[in-house]
Amino acid sequence: MNKFLILLLLPLTLLAHLNIAVSYPYIGAITKSIGAEHINTVVLAKGNWDPHFVVPRPSLISKMRNADALIMNGGQLEIGWLPPLINRAGNPRTVVGASTFLNLSHHIEMIHKPSQVDRSGGDVHPDGNPHFHLDPKNIIVLAQSIRDFLISIDIEHRDIYEKNYDKFESDWKEKMSIWQKKMADKKGMKVIQFHNNLAYFNKAYGLVNVGTIEPLPGIPPSSRHIIKTIKLINEQKPCCILHDVYHSTKTAEYIKDKTGIKIILMPHDIGALESIEDLSSLFEYLTSAIK
Amino acid sequence: MKKILLTSTLCASILFAGTDVLPVEKRTFAQSKFIPDISLIMDMSYVNRSVKDHEAESLEVPGVAHGLLGSHTHGSNTHATYNANNGFNLNYAELVLSSSVDPFFTMDGVFHFSENGVEIEELFFTTTALGYGLRVKGGKFNSNFGYLNEQHHHYWDFNDMPLVYESFLGMHGINEKGVQAQWTAPTDTYLMLGVEALQGENEQMFGNGEIDLTKINAAASPAEAEAADAPSLFIAYAKSSVDVGDTTILGGLSYAQGKSRIDHTDDATNKHAFSADSKIYGADLVIKHYFDSYSSLKWQSEWMMRDMDGTQYANNAGGAFVSVSLTKKQAGLYSQLVYAYDKNWKVGARYDSIYQNDVKANGVDKNMPTDMDKYSAMLEYSTSEFARFRLQYNRNNALYKEVAGKDVQQNIDTIIFQVNISIGAHGAHSF
Repeated sequence: MNKFLILLLLPLTLLAHLNIAVSYPYIGAITKSIGAEHINTVVLAKGNWDPHFVVPRPSLISKMRNADALIMNGGQLEIGWLPPLINRAGNPRTVVGASTFLNLSHHIEMIHKPSQVDRSGGDVHPDGNPHFHLDPKNIIVLAQSIRDFLISIDIEHRDIYEKNYDKFESDWKEKMSIWQKKMADKKGMKVIQFHNNLAYFNKAYGLVNVGTIEPLPGIPPSSRHIIKTIKLINEQKPCCILHDVYHSTKTAEYIKDKTGIKIILMPHDIGALESIEDLSSLFEYLTSAIK
Repeated sequence: MKKILLTSTLCASILFAGTDVLPVEKRTFAQSKFIPDISLIMDMSYVNRSVKDHEAESLEVPGVAHGLLGSHTHGSNTHATYNANNGFNLNYAELVLSSSVDPFFTMDGVFHFSENGVEIEELFFTTTALGYGLRVKGGKFNSNFGYLNEQHHHYWDFNDMPLVYESFLGMHGINEKGVQAQWTAPTDTYLMLGVEALQGENEQMFGNGEIDLTKINAAASPAEAEAADAPSLFIAYAKSSVDVGDTTILGGLSYAQGKSRIDHTDDATNKHAFSADSKIYGADLVIKHYFDSYSSLKWQSEWMMRDMDGTQYANNAGGAFVSVSLTKKQAGLYSQLVYAYDKNWKVGARYDSIYQNDVKANGVDKNMPTDMDKYSAMLEYSTSEFARFRLQYNRNNALYKEVAGKDVQQNIDTIIFQVNISIGAHGAHSF
């Protein structure tokens, strides 16, 4: 019986790619660049939706159940949807602490770590701002962590992962210098956002965020705060509202009517807008958006 | 001597208090980093019902259940349904603790505090290391029968339980001690199979204890309804789900089989007991469409049918003890539609019905009413994920009042304003 089972399963193991579940599309893209044909990536969240509010659809439980490894953003970005999927999947390879589980936030220096954590301040992230992948320098750090992670779970293909990483790094650095040039004259420019999800992008290119349309993280705009924001715009003269794709732009449009400020839609991940098909096009778009 | 001791302790403690308190990470043996996730949930309501409280308590769903509204005293303990009284109700405080135990288990505890005492609502461990899509749970927990049963009250879209759930299973649903095993199939399409072996002590439907029939009548023969072997409740279910674009469809079939030992021998009037073999068949369907990250339309429906076959013990009109062979075939459903406009606003409507109510005594149909339904509407506003305010209106046509030996249908209107607030860790909810 056992022999029969082995015979039956053998061809499967020979063909097996590592099935790697990742929480967001950008992680899938980096992982695929390094793992190439030796892995399959299964992206759980959609790129055009709020990364904080992903629906834990039962179909995602099946994806988790069949995964050989899990890579997540961390920094509590997935706190509202990933835990029940992990719990329900019954897969020891995707539980927190497993050697096949990678929390990317542990490899990144996060900014805006609040000195005080209290819900009266809205939906604060106690470990800092978790939208760190929007600094292109961090993409390199993340790619390194993913390379090391892939090697640790699949030592056999070490050389390939290292080679792919090296190629990824040199390509990325080349692009980074182009983006740097494009953004050079934007340094010091003031901007407004809906939610501060471009904190790392702004930091990378020296943009100064002077305010957000939501009064506190995760708390929808109130009329009092809108009036305050209009006043702030008139005083500080920021160039534009950098708006995410998943919140309604209704409030921003109202503010635009009152102040004449530009609204620029800023994708946060692959798939956020139809034209954003990979990591390069994401940053290509972001660095070209502000004119 | 005593004085010296006292002064020296006092001095020592002052000295100690004077020194800087070491930060947590430097206290060598401090374990505060291992504190489990803790949350506390409060639920309060303001109720305005078209019947007086003492009247509501005595109403029943004929042949199905009684005590669906108000509070009830059994012997020394009192228990109340949610939103039991006109005016203000403190429904509960729920304390939830959860953490991983070691690399192999997690543990969750849900403690339900009400004005009538504390209950361990749930306390269970779950395996995390079995693999092959297998997961085993042991302890006391909400069964995964149907869709709503597993969810806690604070996650429901309405303040009260659907009529068919509450009538068949009581306000806690199937909440039992036992074990559960669930297996997720290694397929692309979600398919989960589960089985549960439970003690079988549900107040409304299941039970396995011996009942002393002499409390009904000193001359009762037999003198007791025999106890059933415990555990006595067995449950199996299958659930599957597919996504069609931004629409998720989740369906399930459930089956429960157990023993009923329903003891009303302590009631003030109309003492009776019922001993039976019981089954429930359930089907559920949830279709949820997402317009964007915050806005959705959810259609949720469940159907349940129960089949009970046993013996009822009571006194007849002449005061003589009689045992009657009694069968109950009853079925009901609810269907609700909830529209989430954005993160703050939700609006919903629900239809409830018990449409089949075949009760036969010694093979003779007792002609129980079947036109029992309930209509509900709600509007809710959440300031954040942690605070929700909900206004609900119910029109309940399922409750009957006994007038001169006859069941008379009541039409009860209820307005409930509910406040549900939570602090601490916020456990994410599954679909």
